[in-house]
Amino acid sequence: MSPDALLFVLLAYLSAALLACFSRRLGYALGAAASAAAASLSLYVLLGGGGTELPLQVGVELSLNRFDAYFLLVSSLVWLGTCVYSMDYDDDYPAALSPLFLLTILSMTVILVAGDAVSFLMAWETMTIASFFMILQGRGRREDVRRAAFLFLAFGEASTVLIMVSFAAMYASLGSFQFLGAGVGRVVGAYAPIAFLAALLGFGLKMGLVPFHVSEWLPIAHSNAPSNASAVLSSTLTLMGVYGFMNVMSRLAPYQLWWGWLALSIGGVSALLGASFASTSEHFKGLPAYSTIENNGLILVALGVYLLAARYQLSLMADVALVAAMYHAFSHAVSKASLFSVMGWLSKVRRSFDLNAAARGTAPGPMRATAMAAVLSLAAAPPFAGFVSEWMVLEVLFQSFKFPDVASQLIGTVVGALVALATGIVTVAMTKAYGFGVLLSGKGEGSPALRGSGWYFLSLVTGLGVAAPLVFFLAADAASGVLGGQVFGTFVTGLLGVPAYFVILSGRPFGGFSPTFTAIFMLGMLAVPLAVARVGGAWRPRRVAGWFAGAARPSDEGEMYNSFGYSSPFRIMLRLLFRTRESVLRAGAARATGEYFVDVRIVDVFRRFYDISAKWALALSRETGRYVMPGRMGRYLAYIMLAMMFVLAYILLVAG
Amino acid sequence: MIRRFVERGPARAEGPVQPSASFSAGGRHLSILTDTDRGRTILCEAQPEERPWQRAPPGSPLELEHGGQVGGYGTFSFQYGPVAYGVQEAGAFKLATYGERVVKAVPIVNYKKRGIEGRVAGMKPEDALLLLERSAGHFSASYSTCFCTAVEDALGLDVPSRVLWDRAVAVELERIYNHVHVFAREAEAASQNVAASQANALGERVLRLNAKYFGHRYLFGFGGVGTSSADLGTQGRRRELLAGARAVAGEFAGLMDGLLSSRIFLDRLQGTARLSKEDATRLGAVGPAARGSGVEADDRHVYPAEPYHDIFVSLETEREGDSLARLTVRAREVQSSAMVLQELLDRMPPSGGVGSRGDGGEDFAICRTEGPSGDLIMALGLDGQGRLAFLHVRPSSAANWIPFAISLEGSVFTDFQFAYESFGLSFADSDG
Amino acid sequence: MWVLRGLRKGILTTGYPGKGLAPDEVPRSSFPPTPSADADWAKGGGLCPTGAIQGERVDAGRCVYCRRCKDAGFRFEGPAPGPMASERAALARRVLGRSLHVLVLDVGSCNGCNMEVLNLANPYYDFNRLGIFFTNTPKHADVLLAVGALNKAMVETLKRTYESMPEPKFVVAAGACAMSGGVFKDTDGFASPLGDAVPVDVEIPGCPPTPLQLLDGLLLIGGRRRAP
Repeated sequence: MSPDALLFVLLAYLSAALLACFSRRLGYALGAAASAAAASLSLYVLLGGGGTELPLQVGVELSLNRFDAYFLLVSSLVWLGTCVYSMDYDDDYPAALSPLFLLTILSMTVILVAGDAVSFLMAWETMTIASFFMILQGRGRREDVRRAAFLFLAFGEASTVLIMVSFAAMYASLGSFQFLGAGVGRVVGAYAPIAFLAALLGFGLKMGLVPFHVSEWLPIAHSNAPSNASAVLSSTLTLMGVYGFMNVMSRLAPYQLWWGWLALSIGGVSALLGASFASTSEHFKGLPAYSTIENNGLILVALGVYLLAARYQLSLMADVALVAAMYHAFSHAVSKASLFSVMGWLSKVRRSFDLNAAARGTAPGPMRATAMAAVLSLAAAPPFAGFVSEWMVLEVLFQSFKFPDVASQLIGTVVGALVALATGIVTVAMTKAYGFGVLLSGKGEGSPALRGSGWYFLSLVTGLGVAAPLVFFLAADAASGVLGGQVFGTFVTGLLGVPAYFVILSGRPFGGFSPTFTAIFMLGMLAVPLAVARVGGAWRPRRVAGWFAGAARPSDEGEMYNSFGYSSPFRIMLRLLFRTRESVLRAGAARATGEYFVDVRIVDVFRRFYDISAKWALALSRETGRYVMPGRMGRYLAYIMLAMMFVLAYILLVAG
Repeated sequence: MIRRFVERGPARAEGPVQPSASFSAGGRHLSILTDTDRGRTILCEAQPEERPWQRAPPGSPLELEHGGQVGGYGTFSFQYGPVAYGVQEAGAFKLATYGERVVKAVPIVNYKKRGIEGRVAGMKPEDALLLLERSAGHFSASYSTCFCTAVEDALGLDVPSRVLWDRAVAVELERIYNHVHVFAREAEAASQNVAASQANALGERVLRLNAKYFGHRYLFGFGGVGTSSADLGTQGRRRELLAGARAVAGEFAGLMDGLLSSRIFLDRLQGTARLSKEDATRLGAVGPAARGSGVEADDRHVYPAEPYHDIFVSLETEREGDSLARLTVRAREVQSSAMVLQELLDRMPPSGGVGSRGDGGEDFAICRTEGPSGDLIMALGLDGQGRLAFLHVRPSSAANWIPFAISLEGSVFTDFQFAYESFGLSFADSDG
Repeated sequence: MWVLRGLRKGILTTGYPGKGLAPDEVPRSSFPPTPSADADWAKGGGLCPTGAIQGERVDAGRCVYCRRCKDAGFRFEGPAPGPMASERAALARRVLGRSLHVLVLDVGSCNGCNMEVLNLANPYYDFNRLGIFFTNTPKHADVLLAVGALNKAMVETLKRTYESMPEPKFVVAAGACAMSGGVFKDTDGFASPLGDAVPVDVEIPGCPPTPLQLLDGLLLIGGRRRAP
């Protein structure tokens, strides 16, 4: 295929960003169109249209192979919906938001199509800085927004440095920066573990994994951002982490055992902590942000299983794990963007991020339906995409008995328990987000763009689950060039009358499941009784008042169960994790007036660690800033950017 | 049974005196004080100290001493009841919480306020008795005993010993089946279904004994002013009744051994709804609730009127003050009641006729009876025609609502039933 | 462990209503006043505190079994009074079959009726074997079993509960208090007989009605017992 198509997409994003400086609506519209084009292009590549390369005359090249195309497809589908949503969401944010938003998207596209490590890093840094400015446009207390943005930047820079270390190690072994495309050999010797570890940490930072940050940077950074930015950051920025990590992995085989163990452990703990903090979050956007940590943990768990299974040459298990990771990345990106768009809209119209605040704003019907589908998917309810991918992750973990050594079996089992617990806990978070966030907010009218984005995301989330086998083909196809996927055909098959390619077998003999036919079956289960009731004349809907244990419906909001109360059992049960402190003040003066004052707090176990590290990171940037360009953050950032480029150019020259 | 223990005293009595009830009669404010140490009930004019239950106007939630607002992020309050499984009666609780944890509990007792005190004024005692027996059906023998004794006192009747002993038998039977019932409910709440069924079966056996010897499963209608219609005339029937009651107590002891050694059961009770001895004393808790916290309060001890004056009643107390302590007290009281029954039935005095009006009646009396859930107080006055001028009832549950509410603070919702049942509270038994 | 303890007790459950009752199985607290040959109706009416004896008949719904009319020549023998059903109760047989879910609603009782209702679950009566179950929410209930003298504070709750039940729904008024107010009919708190607030299908006399009387009343709704 002609490289013109790729160039066209990139130019379209660029012009969208420029256009947005004059008219944000037009900018977003052009961004949506560019995303549609990008999606079409990547689908074309995935379906066998051949890769495309765009050599630029500056020593870097952009190329779109199938692996890149898979991630570009996921991202551009998300961006399409988000751009449409932004047309009406972004009506009173500072004018800088829309160009920055589109610039972020552009830089992510470049990351995905970068053919060599240098252009990858440049795009990576552009993305970080554009996101930083985007977060700065957020609402809320000025200090909070700033703090969030700087945290994001501090951890983002740490991530860049670690990725540079990883790339340097790979370069030292391979002697070339062209290792992001298809096959240029394997990293060998002591370079491999360095590259792996640095990549795990560097990309893990972007995915928000433990120990880099459960509680501070990801939720705070993403939840204080404008919501269209949050949606893009939470779904696709973390996706870039997955993409980068898998790309590095592809050069590192044969894998060492401890890599798998490490990935499994970090993933399992991240999933559990993410789920726990999501369930106790009272923040409209903090809750989905914590859930992002859980989901990225699950992706890393799947990759960990892949690392072990590939090492043990359990090819079927490796393939299932690999496809599970890629499919979960897809389902999470789509579901999370949907959820963020709705939660963001509601927190905007309600003028509060507090799930406990009295409900006033409304969301249009399609958005409410989208939120329903998204929380079901994120809570892993069939037949939605989240169920399929979490089922696959758990299935491969259940099969850790197939590993030949005890340590892997043990870690697999323990992580399996953590993941199962996490998926259970996150159900509470999701029912809470929907119940107290969406359901209590009520239904209202909305503009065409909002309704359109609602319908779009709804069909995406639903379709993704039902059409899971199709996505598997794309994912396995995409992975085959890079990571393997030889025995894909044996786990997507037919069984018990279900036609071929509609049953997922996680192992032989082990579990099997058909998302498509589950959906058909569930629809049937719903349709049959409905039909019987309709035809049989038993269809007599009856509206009665709610039941309040015989008492009248409370007139006061303070008499209803609230969001905080809904998750308090977790605060109390998991007191060791949360370091819950409950205090009821009724002594002294309070006793005389008969008033009680309740104060319930949870303490983040890792908070101290993060506070210290974030303080260091901030202190470092402040000190540097004082020496270089006192007080001017913008120029300081320009400096970082220049310094980055300088370093890269230096490496390039020396290497060349 | 009480008159000689009543003293008229000043508003502020010396020593450790607890206000127990107060009421208005004939335009005067009267208070009943309790001197547990010396076994005295003191009546005084004026209200010595405001007590929580006085502040509850009919038809409003009980305003507790710690009434007022609950504040703080995430707190809310909601109403549990009046149609709720855990309460089983027309009553409700307003629970303030931040989810799971009870910050404050306020019982709402107005759902079945019938206004018995108001209705019986001007009635003949025997008509009023019908209402009082049905005030709290499961405490009917205690109500009937307390009321009849008070009326006899006020009239100055000499009552045959036999009638007093009959009443004591009824009260002890009532105590046994109520305690057994509490265990059945607790076991059911802990999903100990076999134990719950067996306890329920034992309770049913006591009810059948009641029906056979007192003519009614809930002991309605056996007592009257100066009379008793209990069918305990022959030695043989008394032995039968005793054998029946002892068999129940024996099997109950076996059941207790099993239940109180069940980890699952104990876990739900241990440390649940702890009531300190200070709070129990300060707030005026009565019955097993007080004894579970180490307060030595039992009317059968403090005011040992006939027949308790020459019968050994063991005073069962525990120190912990939690649900387990209250249940342990109840378990032991089933055994001690069986022993009391043995003495009552073995040494039952012969029957005599209805007593005649003696002198010394003051048309006013206070009576206290130790019912299954504690001290029941009635104060009544008669007019010249032998009709009730006024009646004041201080039921045992009314005294225990506040101790219960205080003990519940800091518990989690799942503790509720274990706490509630262990206090033996009843909304019917709150109709003062 | 508990299973063994359970088995060791053998079977306590009554065979009723499949078989007849052994004499010692009949739990009695409600004895219907039966006029003997020389009964004095006028004197009985005067003695009766609740007005159950009026003219020459005994109104079981008012009788609280105080046994005062003994002095007027009434005896207390024979079986406990059976339940009284409206025409509508027959409908239940068709729609409810052999499964009844009962919501017990206390509208102001003395707790005696509540105790007897709970006793339905004890091994002697074991109402589950007859397909009768308690439920805690009106939305699952077929039958509203109301006990107690309807209190003014409970009228709204009663109506709300009745409204919340799905069709077809049946109401059982158990005990003299629910049927007529019993001894509480002149108290301040008393609102009205239950039948004045919601349509009542089955009435069960007694003070309190014994478990067997309650069982009879519930079986009448299931259509498994004919009205007497």
